[in-house]
Parts: sequence; C-alpha cells; structure tokens
Amino acid sequence: MTTTASTFTGDERRTGGAPVVSFANVNKSYGAVQAVADLNIELHPGETVALLGPNGAGKSSTLDLLLGLRNPDSGTVRLFGTTPQRAIEQGKVGAMLQSGSLMEEVRVREIIKLACDLHPRAYPVEQVLEQAGITEIADRLVNKLSGGQEQRVRFAMATAGANELIVLDEPTTGMDVTSRQQFWGAMRRQADEGRAILFATHYLEEADAIADRVIVLHRGRVLADGSAAEIKARAGARKISFDLDGELPEAELRQLPALAGLSMAGRTVRIQSHDPDATVHAVYRLGLYPRNLEVAGLGLEQAFIAITDAATAEEGGAR
Amino acid sequence: MNTLIKLEVARTLRNKKFMFFSLLYPVLLYLMISAGVKTDSPVGDTKLSFALLYMVSMASFGAITSVLVGNSERIAKEREKGWTRQLRLTALPGHGYVLAKIASAAVVTLPSILVVFASAAAVKGVRLETWQWLALTGTIWAGSCVFAALGVAIGYAATGDAVRPIAMIVYFGLSILGGLWFPSTRFPSWLKHIAEYVPTHAYAGLGQAIERGDTPGGKDLVILVGYLLIFAGAAAWLYRRDTHKS
Repeated sequence: MTTTASTFTGDERRTGGAPVVSFANVNKSYGAVQAVADLNIELHPGETVALLGPNGAGKSSTLDLLLGLRNPDSGTVRLFGTTPQRAIEQGKVGAMLQSGSLMEEVRVREIIKLACDLHPRAYPVEQVLEQAGITEIADRLVNKLSGGQEQRVRFAMATAGANELIVLDEPTTGMDVTSRQQFWGAMRRQADEGRAILFATHYLEEADAIADRVIVLHRGRVLADGSAAEIKARAGARKISFDLDGELPEAELRQLPALAGLSMAGRTVRIQSHDPDATVHAVYRLGLYPRNLEVAGLGLEQAFIAITDAATAEEGGAR
Repeated sequence: MNTLIKLEVARTLRNKKFMFFSLLYPVLLYLMISAGVKTDSPVGDTKLSFALLYMVSMASFGAITSVLVGNSERIAKEREKGWTRQLRLTALPGHGYVLAKIASAAVVTLPSILVVFASAAAVKGVRLETWQWLALTGTIWAGSCVFAALGVAIGYAATGDAVRPIAMIVYFGLSILGGLWFPSTRFPSWLKHIAEYVPTHAYAGLGQAIERGDTPGGKDLVILVGYLLIFAGAAAWLYRRDTHKS
C-alpha cells in the first residue's frame, strides 16, 4: 500500500456545512489542574485536523469532552448540533481511544462483528476487516495481537459504520513505519469519502503530512490554529548557518538585519532570520566569506517549539 | 445487543480456569460441610434434613460466588483496561451491557448448581420428586441473576484494589445473613427480622419451600424481583455514568 498525497487544501474543505464539532467556552479542571481552559473550536465536514501538543497539553481531555466521556465544568460541546451521546447513538461518530483496551478472550472477527452490530449504519463485517487490513488476522485472539495489530483492530472498530466524524487519539503509537504508512493510507481513504477526521498526536511530521489544519494546544488553550504552513510561518524565522574562518566578529553579526536569533559554536554561526535574503546579503557586505552556507525553513517541530516557548515566556512574564 | 450477549457467554466458556473453579468450589464445600454431620436428622424447625438443606444452601452459595465475586472483579478489570470506555462509544444502551453480563454469569451458575445436585444425590442419597429437581434448578438459576446484577453494580461502583474486599464483604454478609451457612433459625429474633429482607434469605427460602414440597412464598418472590430491579437499575445507571469520571 502506498500513501498518495491528498490535494485538498484547508480552505476547500472548510467551505459549507454545519459544524461537525463545536466547543464553546469549554472549561474542565481536575482538582487544581486546569486541563482545558476556555476552549473554542469548530470543525467542519471533510476537514482533517491534527490536535497537536506535548503530553499534558490537554489533548486527551479535549477528546474525552468531545466524545461525552467527560462533562465540561462550563461551556458546551456539540456534535452535529446535538449532544455527543446523541451523535454517537445516531452512528455519526467513530472513535479510537488511546487507552481503550479490547475485549479479551474473543477473536478479531467477533469483536468487529460486535462493533458492526452495535452501529446503526454499519458496513458488512468483511469489508471493515478488509479496509483496516486485518482480514488475515481475523481468526486470531484479540489478546494475542501485537501492539500495531491491536491498533488496526481499534481502527476497524472506529470505522465499522458510515460515520461522519472519526476521532483518533494518538493512533499510530506502537506502530512501525510500514504500519504507520498503511494506517494513514486507510485514513486518507476515509477522508476522501468526505469524513471529518480529528486526530491527536505528538508526532509533528504526521500532523505536517496528513492534516490540512493543525490546532496547537498548550496548557489547555489553543495556541495556534491553521494549516501546517501557516503555523510554520507564524513561528516566523528561517534558519541560516555557515562557518567563518578566524575570529568571529560577534558585535557585527549582532547588527545584522532581520535577526531573530544568533548562536555561535566554534567557527559555526547559526542565525534565525525573518528575512534570510537580507541577512545573507548583509553578511557578504561585511566582507565576510561564509562557507557551508545553508538556509532552511523551520520544520513544524521547531515552529511548534518556538510557539510554545513564546507562550510559556509570556505566561511567565504576566505573573 | 444479541451479539454482545453471545460474545460475553462465549468468552466466559473459553475461560477454563474460571469455569473450573466455579464448578468445583460449591461442590467441595458441600461435601466438606456435610461430611462429619449426621445428615438425615432435621435441622432446627426447617423439617429438612441436613443433607437436603445444605444442598440448596451450597448450590445457592456457589451460584452467588461466581456471579457476585467473579462478575465484579472481571468488570472492574475491564473498566481499568478501558474496554468499557470503548464500548461507551457505541450505541449500546446501558441495560444491554447489564443484560449481557447477567447472561454470561448465568452460563457458569447452571452447571455449578447441577454438579452440587448430582453429588448430593449420588454421595448423600438425597431423593426428591422430578418436579422438585426441576423447580429447584430453575429457581436457583433464575435467582442467581439477582446477584449477578449486584456483581455488575459493585464492579462499577468500586475501583481497583477496593473491588475484591467490597465484593467479599457483601458476599459473606449476604451469605451469613441469608442463612446459607447456618440456618437462620439459630439467629436471635432481632437479627431474624432483618434477615427476612435480605435477598439471599429470600433466595434460600424459595429453594427450601420447594424441598418441603410447598408452593414458594410470594413474599420471597417479591423481595427477589425487587432486588433484581434495584441492582440492575443501579448497574445500568453506573455504566452510563462511569466513564464521565474514570
């Protein structure tokens, strides 16, 4: 199975349709810990959205609230204009949880048949097995599967019927590279059928490659919400690195235009710049001869770190 | 929902260790307790011989063991592992879950009752009319559903390490108060009044009435049905509520 790049853009998918998910001013605390703080999110039909954040950012809490597994302290969570529980009973939502283990002492086919029988708009069992790539292991006992196989069974349970929203909490945890690619291939087919997909992850490359919209959560708040490209742009800088012979002219380097960051190690200079063209030009005008010059965009990972660091610093400053 | 019931029954049957001990435990207890006793003299004012009285007591006791303790522990474990969270994300109604759990418990109790009866007949020479055997089997089997529902409720009300002690306290409390271990005729009168409303007492009472050849008491039946509704209702409510917090 190969993964073919989807050509949808965020904007195309966002047009039209009532919100699939809407969080309005949602708060949730556990004791003194505020897991979700004044969350406002809207998801639209056909969107593939990544919920990105470090551990403890509130991803799982957000998904629990979304699925009605927990109730918010204040604010409202609506799915398809109704309560999460109603939406689930209507067979509009399929979910794959991070912690949800499977029923033990039963075979894969039996548990999938159960999921199909409980779904108001179910697909045939064989089709569900096929789509999740678990036809070959259908007669195995569920408690004898590897981590990756178990994930695929959970995915099959989440796609047992004609859901309009699929929710996945860190779905590729425990999968090897091949399984991961197969998994996202299967996921893309779901998206291409017009389903909204929301997945939580801390794998940035996954969010970058798969999602057409990325929501960055940090300490229960939405820090950024846009396409992966927009988030990278928001972090602003691109990075420049080069080596110099002789003494590093630090004072002059600090005067470079569009400078967002400067670090020096040995003869290597690393610069973050808002305008790399201007910065590099100025380096030459100083009469320097940079060797091994590299200019690169920040990866989503660095963008993510830049955004969360900035937020942490701001919070610290406000205190 | 039928699929879930079938699946719960199938996986209980596949759990050979659980089946084995659930079958063996009541019959061993019965044979041990009745071993040293002069078994054909009547016990208290029950007009029943020791072998006969204890046959029903131990069949009931054995049935309760597997459905109350077994059910609550298995359910608490499933909750911890997150399976019930996954199940909550399906359109399954709360009563469907409780029904499936009761059905899977009933699969274990029927053979355990039959084994006690068979050994009472073979080893202790207990003789009853055919209708009595059938009625006893049906009554004790059906009655065990009350305690299966209680087991589901406990499995949902308690978590982790607390499940076993709570289930054990409820289980021994009910067994002793209900007169499954020593006939309740030996209780002081104040305790007798309380014991009359304990579900195990009504449960054993139905069996003893059949052994005497009487019509089972309407009061006992009402008490048991009442408890069944309360326990099953509580279990279904706890199932629906549970995942909000766990």
